[in-house]
Amino acid sequence: MRPTAPLILSAALAITATSLTACGAFGNDPNTLKVVYLRNTDNKVRHMDHYLSMVKKQFEREHRGKKVKLIPIQAAQPDYWVKIQQMMRSSKTAPDVVYEDTFIINSDVASGYLRPLDRYLRTWRDWDAFLPQARTAAKAEDGKTYGVPIGTDTRGLWFNKKVFATAGLPTNWQPKTWDELLTAARTIKKKVPGVIPLNVYTGKGPGEASVMQGFEMLLYGTGADPLYDPKAKKWIAGGQGFKDALGFLKTVYGERLGPHPSDAVDPNVTTRVATELLPEGKVAIALDGSWMGQFWRETGGRPWPEWSRALGQAPMPTQYGDPPGKVSMSGGWTWAIPAKSEKPDLAWKLIETLQTQPNAVEWTLRDAQIAVREDVATDRRYLTSMPGIRFFTDLVRHTHYRPALPVYPRVSSAIGEAMEAVTTSGTSAASAAKDYDKELRSIADGKVVNRSR
Amino acid sequence: MSSSSLPATPAPPAGVPVPAPAPPRAPVRRTRGAARRLRRRAGVDLALLAIAALFVLPLVWLLFASLDADASLRVGAPSPATMDNFDAVWTQEITFRPMLNSLLLCGGATLLTVVCAALAAYPLSRYRSRLVRPYLLTVLFTTCLPLTAIMVPVYGLYVQVELIDSLLGTALFLAATQLPFAIWLMKNFMDGVPIALEEAAWTDGASWLQTLLRIILPLMGPGLTVVTIYSFIMMWGNFFVPFMLLLTPDQLPASVTLFTFFGSYDTVVYGQLAAFSILYSTPVILLYVLIARKLGGGFALGGAVKG
Amino acid sequence: MSTLTQQPAEPEPTPPPASVSPKATGTVRRHRPLRWLPLAPATVLLLLFLGGPIVYCVAIAFTDMQLTGSSSTSFVGFDNFQRAFDDKHFRNAVVLTLTFTFLSSIVGQNTLGLALALLMRRASKPVRTLTGSIVIAAWVVPEIVAGFLLYAFFRDEGTLNSVLDWAHLPSQDWLYSAPIVAVSIANVWRGTAFSMLIYSAALSDVPREITEAAEVDGAGGWRQLWFITLPMIRRSIGTNLMLNTLQTLSVFGLIWAMTRGGPGNRSQTLPVFMYDQAFLKALIGYGTAVALLLLLIGALFSAVYLRLLRTEV
Repeated sequence: MRPTAPLILSAALAITATSLTACGAFGNDPNTLKVVYLRNTDNKVRHMDHYLSMVKKQFEREHRGKKVKLIPIQAAQPDYWVKIQQMMRSSKTAPDVVYEDTFIINSDVASGYLRPLDRYLRTWRDWDAFLPQARTAAKAEDGKTYGVPIGTDTRGLWFNKKVFATAGLPTNWQPKTWDELLTAARTIKKKVPGVIPLNVYTGKGPGEASVMQGFEMLLYGTGADPLYDPKAKKWIAGGQGFKDALGFLKTVYGERLGPHPSDAVDPNVTTRVATELLPEGKVAIALDGSWMGQFWRETGGRPWPEWSRALGQAPMPTQYGDPPGKVSMSGGWTWAIPAKSEKPDLAWKLIETLQTQPNAVEWTLRDAQIAVREDVATDRRYLTSMPGIRFFTDLVRHTHYRPALPVYPRVSSAIGEAMEAVTTSGTSAASAAKDYDKELRSIADGKVVNRSR
Repeated sequence: MSSSSLPATPAPPAGVPVPAPAPPRAPVRRTRGAARRLRRRAGVDLALLAIAALFVLPLVWLLFASLDADASLRVGAPSPATMDNFDAVWTQEITFRPMLNSLLLCGGATLLTVVCAALAAYPLSRYRSRLVRPYLLTVLFTTCLPLTAIMVPVYGLYVQVELIDSLLGTALFLAATQLPFAIWLMKNFMDGVPIALEEAAWTDGASWLQTLLRIILPLMGPGLTVVTIYSFIMMWGNFFVPFMLLLTPDQLPASVTLFTFFGSYDTVVYGQLAAFSILYSTPVILLYVLIARKLGGGFALGGAVKG
Repeated sequence: MSTLTQQPAEPEPTPPPASVSPKATGTVRRHRPLRWLPLAPATVLLLLFLGGPIVYCVAIAFTDMQLTGSSSTSFVGFDNFQRAFDDKHFRNAVVLTLTFTFLSSIVGQNTLGLALALLMRRASKPVRTLTGSIVIAAWVVPEIVAGFLLYAFFRDEGTLNSVLDWAHLPSQDWLYSAPIVAVSIANVWRGTAFSMLIYSAALSDVPREITEAAEVDGAGGWRQLWFITLPMIRRSIGTNLMLNTLQTLSVFGLIWAMTRGGPGNRSQTLPVFMYDQAFLKALIGYGTAVALLLLLIGALFSAVYLRLLRTEV
């Protein structure tokens, strides 16, 4: 070997080091905005990607020299939270604009990950167009607003009219109690073999989708404030409603009225119901969200023009039909700016572009959201292009919101665990509820009231 | 240079193949036992083939699925065989960028590991000191630790020192995890190089670095190859480290993108997933074959890890 | 195989360069601490990137750091450990880790690896080469690929069940009904090559004359194995068991890809539990405490292993 060998060696090391750093260093260009959002795990569902690249082009045209870098995180929702929290922890990786669910926003505010937007909202004329409920959706305990809501949703029962006709059930079906719902499912199981009678999300895999669409839609039909008492500021333990809701799941999965439990707890089940089971008529009744049309529109991942005729909608009944007789839950997503973003002003400009009236309408349509802005709700395109939107918008009157508290995501995770236990093992509803109570005490730090008799 | 210079080597997180001389064949005794022996050999062969069949099933599925336009989870010959799946994943986003990231990450980390290990092995192999034994024992001890466990703290630490989401930071950590075993192997290989040759160089006034580079390393070529390739294979397959330390999708190596791909939902995607798995596995399989060939021909694999 | 360098820590005494020509500059060099300089890069790397995290691990394990829900981190003493021992999910993870280790490492990889090595000694060359290549191929494929393959293999509509159907045996949804068995078998599939290699090497050191002499004395196959072969390779058995156990303790990717620890928590071994708590449940402090416990268990095994080497070598 020649005497230059050490030189070559150190040169090689130096080159490696630079190329490795170079690749990691694009992040802090002052003219580039990083936008992190959730990409659907179905590779065909890309409506958000398309919408964002449209807005990106517009923004880059209007702001010379500025760039928008779209960073999609393709993952199941629970993994998405982890990733964005990990990113927001460090100023090196913090994006400038982040797609946040109202479900997690209070928790992330408590961690100091997000920046209050009040400064910008005060001078933003469009803010006045937001409906009152929406304006508080991303307001944290400190009274500041941390996200601009871009839509809301409600939940109810979707059912396949053809399957109902085959089973001899009315195609204008409106169950009044949980029992009527179960009876219909049992009838379908008997009369239409090969079709999953009733899909209710469950378990840890689908994350908040299970807890909100599956569990809380049941729980909030069992009585007032079944999860958290806002007056006493305490979480509820030992409630009968909690056990009954778990019992309902136990019945659905125990009697094989739902999908096979191993499919039910798969993180991809939410997508699968939307893009496969419902369009192909493989599930008769689905307890699901108002946004399902996003998959079936021409911009969606599974265009299905017939859906508005093939599917009926019914409100989810309360347990024994007690007034108001129907239940819905509402949430929604927001655009937020991480605290560690180094260019919040520019980031805000991007949010403004995302929420110009035409763009807001476009997003509301593509994502099949329920409008949160007056000027979107009254837009002709919004009113005409979405079958079923009236039904789901009407549910807003009876809808419930989750406790907007930092610990909610952990409570939700404990609920998911209880659901998974009753679904996939012999654990009884009572014993799963007991485990939840124990977990709740540790999460809520004693702020728990016992309601057991 | 043969495996005999790899004494009682402990503890690779997974062993390294080093050829052993083929076991001395006993002279066949032509007795009445010969027929029985033949029968027994047939039995042994059958038993082995049965085990091999069980091991090969998942691999056959992978191969078939990659060639099948609508692959299911069940093993079945594709009809007709097609390269569509490979075509579909043969893109910048699915194949090239992740593979390039893997190459940069693992190549860089391997280079670092090998250089550090070679340097460290020199004094450990050539000098005598009371420090050598404790040092080696510590290295050995580290080799055995379940490093999976420190991934959570490493993540926390990397956030604090801003090394998170950096290929360099990740490569440094990968290098550190592989280093103990690399030092151990390298030192043992170096012990096998006779000292006599160096003596001439010393009298010529050569420095230790010159001796190391011009005399020892060229002489332990096969050993160096083993350490290099082995480190590379281990890093190439590593999932947890980049999964925890890299966040930006653009920087993810193939191990992590494969996992994302796997977690994504699409009814027809099994074939593509299989195709990408094959593309991703090919480099390490080729490298493995290379060391097996280079160091021993055929399948005379012996123990770097004998007790 | 030669045994001339069977000592790991005490190499053939190699004279330092200086001792060769005492009159040359070497005399000075011998006492110069600078000659240990080559050790520096490796040492620094190890201290910073392995030592650092371990120290950090110990520090964080006693705090209540969270990924989300709270921005302050405070010292909480032994709370996390207290919590772990009270946590039935933690106990579940410990039991599953033991099951996983016992099934896949001690019973599976070790026994199957030994059986393969023994059989291969007596098999014909083509069969030996073929089997060896297949078993090793399973070991060389990256962890995530293995996870994906075996997921497909064990799924309800996967290959295993079609084989069982074909043999008229009852099939079942393995990943749902027996997830810990499925991941254990997966780990056997992936890890057996390692044991096979160790045992092949060890057996090649057992002189044929000995086994043949035993045969002449009329010792049957099993007796011969039990009384002659196994005692002769007992050191390898010890090493192999220890290494397998340590590797198995830290398996994460395989289980994560196949079951994510589910359904429920029926395949949630300690590394998966640790990840779940630290990130999905956002309790970094608690997850780190679990990591520390795992590290301690590993350190214990590791120390035993070193001990074993020292007395045996």
